[in-house]
Amino acid sequence: MTDGDFERLYERAGAALRAPAPDEDAARDRLVKRIHAESLRSTTRRGNAFLPWWAALAAAAIAFAAGLGTGRATTSSRSSTAAPVASGAAADAAQRPIEFVFVAPAARNVSLVGDFNGWDASATPMRRTDGRTTWSVAVQLPAGRHVYAFVVDGDAWVADPQAPLAPEQWYGQRNSVVVVAASGDRRS
Amino acid sequence: MTEEALVARAVEGDVDAYATLAERYYGSCARIARRMLRNDADAEDVVQDTFLRAFRAIGRFERGREFRVWLFTILVNQCRTAATSRKRRQQRFSDDETALDRATDERPTGIVDETSAVAAAVDRLDPLLREAFLLKYVEGLEYAEMATVTGAGISALKMRVKRACDALRPMLEAIYHD
Repeated sequence: MTDGDFERLYERAGAALRAPAPDEDAARDRLVKRIHAESLRSTTRRGNAFLPWWAALAAAAIAFAAGLGTGRATTSSRSSTAAPVASGAAADAAQRPIEFVFVAPAARNVSLVGDFNGWDASATPMRRTDGRTTWSVAVQLPAGRHVYAFVVDGDAWVADPQAPLAPEQWYGQRNSVVVVAASGDRRS
Repeated sequence: MTEEALVARAVEGDVDAYATLAERYYGSCARIARRMLRNDADAEDVVQDTFLRAFRAIGRFERGREFRVWLFTILVNQCRTAATSRKRRQQRFSDDETALDRATDERPTGIVDETSAVAAAVDRLDPLLREAFLLKYVEGLEYAEMATVTGAGISALKMRVKRACDALRPMLEAIYHD
């Protein structure tokens, strides 16, 4: 067989996988109903003074600046065997403002993605600080282990150079780990 | 209505426009998730979650981006998260990867149709190779789009596609020529 024959073989296999599943129409209907239900819930939340994302972020930043939380995600070198533990002073708070910092002087934009924001590169943009060489953002995170990465200029996913990599390397190789402590303890 | 118009209306809060986009892309997302997770129930959960997360974020969608690429980026990472947490659950019951692999290898038995046979072959690929093959040959993405979706470089993706094709070749020849 020639290279062209093999290429047609792969394209034929790809076409075979485009066949719809038998239950796809029902699943699609379920999704549309959930979208409309979600829309109604969002409207209700807005009616009850639900904070928009930017206001929540601003509140988190203010809380962080006021010293309510002192966690920094990037406190540990990659050679460390443990994930950095970030913590806030208010031990009974359900969520803590954690600051993520990334040095990228040449970047046009940087955002934070992780299991806490659905890996959505548009959800948590970072802001330039420190003479425009460093990017940072503070987000509210519950206690526990979180996996994250930085997205530079919209398409390059980069692990935090100052944090350990997540061990799950079989699928998704370049993410970092931060552990938010339930107590005020901090390990780095 | 064109996709660009639907996206513009969805960004402005038109739920029906977003629902139309979801209907349009449900099939693509479902087949990627089914093959990446190899479990229809897990795949539906991930796809539904992906569309709901995208719905919550659509107001911040940047004009000029391609909606499909943006959506696939969320989907691929939702699949990664689901696969990772599922693997952790599986490890509580069995650390025997060989047994898990063997269970997968037994699936082609009794397969009668082309789609199932090809799916079984693709399922045997390493997840990163499978992901690259699906985006390239099933969804027809360009390498630059694949790079945005996966976070990998273009040369790495070309290598993954080549390795996927090399691994699939004997299995596909057996399916189509035997």
